[in-house]
Amino acid sequence: MRKGKFLSRFSGYLFLLPYLSLFGTFLLLPVCYGLGLSFFRWEMLSLAPPRFIGFGNYMEAFRTPYFWMALGATFRFVIMIVPLVVIGALVVAAGINALPGRFQALFRAAYFFPTIISISVAGILWRWFFNTEFGLFNALSGLAGFKAPWITDVNWAMKSIVFMTLWWTLGGPMVILLAGLRQIPTQYREAAAIDGANALQRFFYITLPILRPVLLFVVVMSIIASFQVFGQTFMITRGGPELSTRVLMQYIYETAFTNYRIGFGAAMSWLLFLVIALFSFVQFRIIREG
Amino acid sequence: MLRIVRRFNRENPDVHVLMQRMDWVTYYNKLFVAGLGERAPEVFIVHAGNIERFMQADFIRPIDDLVIGPHGMDEKDFTENIWSAVEKEGRHYALPLDVHMLGMYYNKKLFREAGIVDERGEPRPPRTRREFMDALDQLTRDTDGDSEPDQWGFVYTWYRTNAYTIMRQWGGKFFTPDNQRCLLNCPENVEALEFCVDLIRKHKLVPPPENFDSWIGFRQGKVGIAFEGIYMLEDLKKQEDLEYGGAPLPLLGKIPAAWCDSHTICLQRDLEGKRLEAAWRFARYLSDNSLDWAEGGQVPVRKSLRDTKRFRQMRVQYEFAKQIPYVRYVPRIPFVFEFFSEYETAVEKALRGSLPPREALDIATENINGIIQRREQMQTTRGTSP
Repeated sequence: MRKGKFLSRFSGYLFLLPYLSLFGTFLLLPVCYGLGLSFFRWEMLSLAPPRFIGFGNYMEAFRTPYFWMALGATFRFVIMIVPLVVIGALVVAAGINALPGRFQALFRAAYFFPTIISISVAGILWRWFFNTEFGLFNALSGLAGFKAPWITDVNWAMKSIVFMTLWWTLGGPMVILLAGLRQIPTQYREAAAIDGANALQRFFYITLPILRPVLLFVVVMSIIASFQVFGQTFMITRGGPELSTRVLMQYIYETAFTNYRIGFGAAMSWLLFLVIALFSFVQFRIIREG
Repeated sequence: MLRIVRRFNRENPDVHVLMQRMDWVTYYNKLFVAGLGERAPEVFIVHAGNIERFMQADFIRPIDDLVIGPHGMDEKDFTENIWSAVEKEGRHYALPLDVHMLGMYYNKKLFREAGIVDERGEPRPPRTRREFMDALDQLTRDTDGDSEPDQWGFVYTWYRTNAYTIMRQWGGKFFTPDNQRCLLNCPENVEALEFCVDLIRKHKLVPPPENFDSWIGFRQGKVGIAFEGIYMLEDLKKQEDLEYGGAPLPLLGKIPAAWCDSHTICLQRDLEGKRLEAAWRFARYLSDNSLDWAEGGQVPVRKSLRDTKRFRQMRVQYEFAKQIPYVRYVPRIPFVFEFFSEYETAVEKALRGSLPPREALDIATENINGIIQRREQMQTTRGTSP
């Protein structure tokens, strides 16, 4: 009897143990280790041993224009991509939801398909699409006598990256929103229709408010993911032209793994984490109050 | 390279060499971390331009005793400027395998069409600034009648090698001899970069970088001249519809210079006895067989190998190799990557017209001096560390 009680109390932990050990070893531990590193000046290229410098690395980040440039590039990306992905996914999900059942699976698969392509493949593919000389896009627009400097102009590059990311990431949020839409009982909309609401009114006054929690979840997840943008810019532009698409993740990567400034890289990672945490916190508050 | 390694393994049954290859960025990361963990491979390749940080980190073994040893080789077989690229305080830390320099590739068909030919009607690559500018003038043209050029005389390929060469030709300096101060914004470099920018903005003989894919453009036959490394030869060999030639770079500035780098063979620091003997035997084997390696687009570093009929038949390599007396390695500093990140950004901004050359170089110089200062501080505060 006692034994059974013991087991039932701890069986939950036992089930969690396999994942928890991996989580601890490969995530929690490195995260804490990284926090520790961020207080040390440690440059692997130097013979000087790591030295504790308190918040020195953080102060250096605030003083370095490159940090602000990279953070600015990241924000530009987030501000453009998040509304586009969320609204785009919502429109596509609503569209698919309105289709007759047998077409739904086809379109859902089609829109979800790019998401399963790895970033290295998608990146190389799109670098060719964007090529000024013989890329797909300029070949098409060239027919109309127009060529765009997709990824070679400072004013175009980030927008092109956003465009590519939209194609690449739309599928995920779309599937979640579609599932949300499916859960809304049809009676609500039928009742509104009987009361004389048109399709737009039904969408904005019935569907959207009910969908709100799902929508907010999608927004939060998409912001978190967008702040960590790296693969797209790294594969397509390498941060150029003129560092205009060098996002914070890439700067951190270069600092830590090309210039071997481990402490400084760790400090910037924690700054990025704080930015993401702040945004997430605010949004979760909004959800809870909603 | 794999073929050479396999042959070595066949001919030396007592030694087995396992070759690993990966892209350079990953490679240097792994190598450096493995070195820190004292698990570096016995023999490994490092670029001469990159060797300083491996010397400083104390990963590699000087080879002077081996060179003069029983299975040694003749130091005089190396040109002085190349042999000294792996030297520090009188000791040589690696065996240079090749020297891959920048040179001039030109499109023979376009040259003939533009009438840039010698008395026998053969395309004549430019040798001086005057000839270069004339050639660009004749080669740059509008072929489809939209009054915008679509065939260009020249393009900038890799900013690092192109701008570096031109600055060296103007006599520009990059660091003080003790590497304690950056001189990137010296008047010679500013003037050289202004020349580069003028070709685009003023003379309009070079396409603006934002609108043109340079090396691809050359391969497509839309460009008359490009400066690229000998290692790009492989690219061109695959292309049957392009009639190209190789030549030494023209003298655009005041003194001849061409960017170069070398793959050098390094030995792990702690090798001893039999393992050391085997490692050196392998390193020598690579060096002795570097003509095979050169076939793919490299220039062997040893005079005795370049002085062979076989090498003379490698047309482009042979032409590029004429520049050996004045090839210039990049500054030997441990913070190469940080330096080039600043340097390339400055050149890019100038060529794109975002900043005047002087200003772009001023900013880069200040930043690079900041890096030096930071590293200096680290060294001096070393004693106070816990």
